[in-house]
Amino acid sequence: MDYTLVIALEMVRAIAWLVLLSSGLAIIFGMMRIINFAHGEFLMLGGYTVVISTGHGVNEWVAMLVLAPIVVGIFGVIVERLVIQRLYGRILDSLLATWGLSMLMIGGVTMIFGNSVTGVATPLGGMSIGAYQVPRYNFVLIFAAIALLLIIWAVLKFTKAGLIARATMQNPDMSEALGIPTRWVYMATFGIGSAVTGFAGALLAPMTGVVPTMGVNFIAQSFITVITGGASIITGTLAAAGLLGSISQGMTFLTGPVYGDAALLLAALVLLRLLPQGITGRIFKKSL
Amino acid sequence: MSDDYNILTTRGLTMQFGGVTAVDNVDFNLREGELRCLLGPNGAGKSTFFKCLTGQLTPTKGTVTFAGQEITGALTHKIVNLGVGIKTQVPNVFDGVSAYENVRLSARRKHLAPLARELTHATLERCGITHLAKREVGLLSHGQRQLVELAMVLAGEPKLILLDEPAAGMTGDERDRLAQLVLESARSAAVVVVEHDMAFIRQIAKFVTVFNRGAIFREAMIEDIMQDREVQEIYLGKQANAA
Amino acid sequence: MEKSVIRDPGFYVMVGIGLAVMFIAPVMLDLFTIMQFTQYVVLSVFALSLGYIWGFGGILSFGQAAFFGLGAYTFAVASINMGSTTIPMVLAFIIPTIFGAALGYFMFYGRLSDVYLGVVTLVVALIFWKLINHTAGPEYSIGKARLGGFNGIPSIPTLHIPGDTGAWLDPAQMFQVFMAILIIIYIALRFLIASDFGRVSIGIRENETRASLLGYDVRLQKVIVFAIGGGIAGLAGAMWATYQSFIDPNSVSMEMSAKALVWVMAGGVGTLAGPIIGCILLQWLTLKLGTVDVVNSIAVLGAIMMVLVLALPKGIVPTAKMLAMNGWTLWNRRPNRDAVTRKAVKHE
Repeated sequence: MDYTLVIALEMVRAIAWLVLLSSGLAIIFGMMRIINFAHGEFLMLGGYTVVISTGHGVNEWVAMLVLAPIVVGIFGVIVERLVIQRLYGRILDSLLATWGLSMLMIGGVTMIFGNSVTGVATPLGGMSIGAYQVPRYNFVLIFAAIALLLIIWAVLKFTKAGLIARATMQNPDMSEALGIPTRWVYMATFGIGSAVTGFAGALLAPMTGVVPTMGVNFIAQSFITVITGGASIITGTLAAAGLLGSISQGMTFLTGPVYGDAALLLAALVLLRLLPQGITGRIFKKSL
Repeated sequence: MSDDYNILTTRGLTMQFGGVTAVDNVDFNLREGELRCLLGPNGAGKSTFFKCLTGQLTPTKGTVTFAGQEITGALTHKIVNLGVGIKTQVPNVFDGVSAYENVRLSARRKHLAPLARELTHATLERCGITHLAKREVGLLSHGQRQLVELAMVLAGEPKLILLDEPAAGMTGDERDRLAQLVLESARSAAVVVVEHDMAFIRQIAKFVTVFNRGAIFREAMIEDIMQDREVQEIYLGKQANAA
Repeated sequence: MEKSVIRDPGFYVMVGIGLAVMFIAPVMLDLFTIMQFTQYVVLSVFALSLGYIWGFGGILSFGQAAFFGLGAYTFAVASINMGSTTIPMVLAFIIPTIFGAALGYFMFYGRLSDVYLGVVTLVVALIFWKLINHTAGPEYSIGKARLGGFNGIPSIPTLHIPGDTGAWLDPAQMFQVFMAILIIIYIALRFLIASDFGRVSIGIRENETRASLLGYDVRLQKVIVFAIGGGIAGLAGAMWATYQSFIDPNSVSMEMSAKALVWVMAGGVGTLAGPIIGCILLQWLTLKLGTVDVVNSIAVLGAIMMVLVLALPKGIVPTAKMLAMNGWTLWNRRPNRDAVTRKAVKHE
């Protein structure tokens, strides 16, 4: 019984993990149809924000919930202005440019902080379920993922900005024709997507520690989740994270973490063979 | 009409997008060697119908049969390989290469290189664009690109030619040449032309199918269609009066 | 047709330079430089593999290193087990080709394009990298070969003359053999591109819809192009493995894929000379920069990549061609030349 509970909890944590990892990327992809290849390094930047600010005596929760999103969000806006906006309409070029940015960031951060892992203490400690020890922090992750999705949903559904965003997602040309300044929408989108990514990176830092090359460990999972999900931010992310999270976690239980990723990829390939535009490209088309 | 003489038939062809029915239960027959024009106001479902024929869309319901073979929802290249030549609404050409190369790629599909070369030259000649052979297609005018695309369709030696708005963006001279070409091609193949350039239609049309709201509204000779009050009301109204 | 290759002076220039370097370099240069050159040759083959599928098939693979690494590991495992290198070299071409066809089937029959294609290819390479990194334990062995995880596989046999496992090639001979492989692949690709198959690929790159409207099976065509590219990259990987006599997961890393992209971008997409030139130029630059400790090589690679996309999207070779053409036009328009022409006309 306890064991089942622990496994169920691990499943949910794996799904929450994928949601956190990929929400920021999904926002950018849903709105702009580009994948930010420097996504992993944006996560890394969120992690480093926590390390540096707690090192200077900032409360860790403030660092994670407030500072990291702000810092990475601002960074995202700068990147959008300097790089992305020059490449609108050239999707593949924007992928290449963000990949270049990714390497520049890895190299740059290595030059400044060195290539070693900096640990971050996991807050809250553990708790026991029957005979098993579970970190309380898992619940923070699950809660954060749910809260994040709810906030994105509420913003899209009930605010004017959300309405503009939904219009742009449905038909960018039309919304431009209606006088919506798409360029500003894209800038804001990239900023918000980056902020969400920074937040996720901050939350992940205590679990993984931070190191300049940490991004590479997460991008496979987040890229796959986003493109399998398709263009709808919430439904897509949730559906893909749910499906792929359970598959990879199930595989991890059976054979260890290495094949978890491989199973994730294989499942995604089969899915994309059947639904080339992702899950929400065919089903749940009208969803958010 | 017995199906035996029909090169192309659709039965109960229906295409729905979400709640919108763009093509509604269409039974369409085309005899071998026939030249048929499809008319109708914008949004009448002509282009959607066309795309169901070419395999670019898979119809929600109903069947498409070409030369006795069902091709409903088949892949475009398979339909083409059965002997259908297709020209889409937006010019679809290979922009980065020469007009000659464009047409040759079509001719080469069925013939070995030496024969393909001859066929390419002949087709370019036939379409009156021999002087453009070496020019990069991306740099040509819209009308010239249309002619290049038509040459590509003809070089495939199709049994059935489907043309979606071939006269769009053409000058008067180019349009005249196009009309001549379409009439000429109709001697060796069945042709379906979707068009709403009336000047062009008058040059080529004999038997006409009028679409309205996704369904066949009228099928008659062009002279009768021009006189038809109801057709005028739904579509030709202003233009017919003006003429 | 193939005539277009035979008539192209650039083709003879490239092959001529290749042959000259192949025969003269070992005589003129010291051993260290020769080995340095060998490295450029191997990586040029890798660059060609991406240059072909991207420039002449319109397939932008973000994970070309997956094939490079697969070829390298195939060669390593096979040659350690067999003790010979001839068949492993062939296997290093065939297995990545098959893998490319299988992956291509999923991608192109699923009609993935643009972003999706880029992401899938990248992720495949990434997961391959992760898997290999985790094979450090002794339980991960294939026959006599231990995969070694992040430690890599050491003591990979040097190439020998086919049939005679004792006749190892010395570095100069190895250089010449690799140079020959590079030249052969270059020639083969030039002819493939000029063939009907190649022209259809170019047509697909230009306009997929039109290609299928002419009756060509776009999906199959792309799978074949992608598989050929995979095979060539695999061969490059095998050359890399035997040249270094060592292979580790770095050969599958994102950095390796990125390097190939940067070489092709720098040299110019849509040419075959470009990727080779881009590869040699940038590898030489990396070597020079490598001696400066302060600058991180990954940061430099990233910066070059961004600059190329933003400032020189066409690449060096096409840009140089364009400049040369403009220069030629300007030259022709010189006023006194016009005057000369006019005079000539008058005299007639």
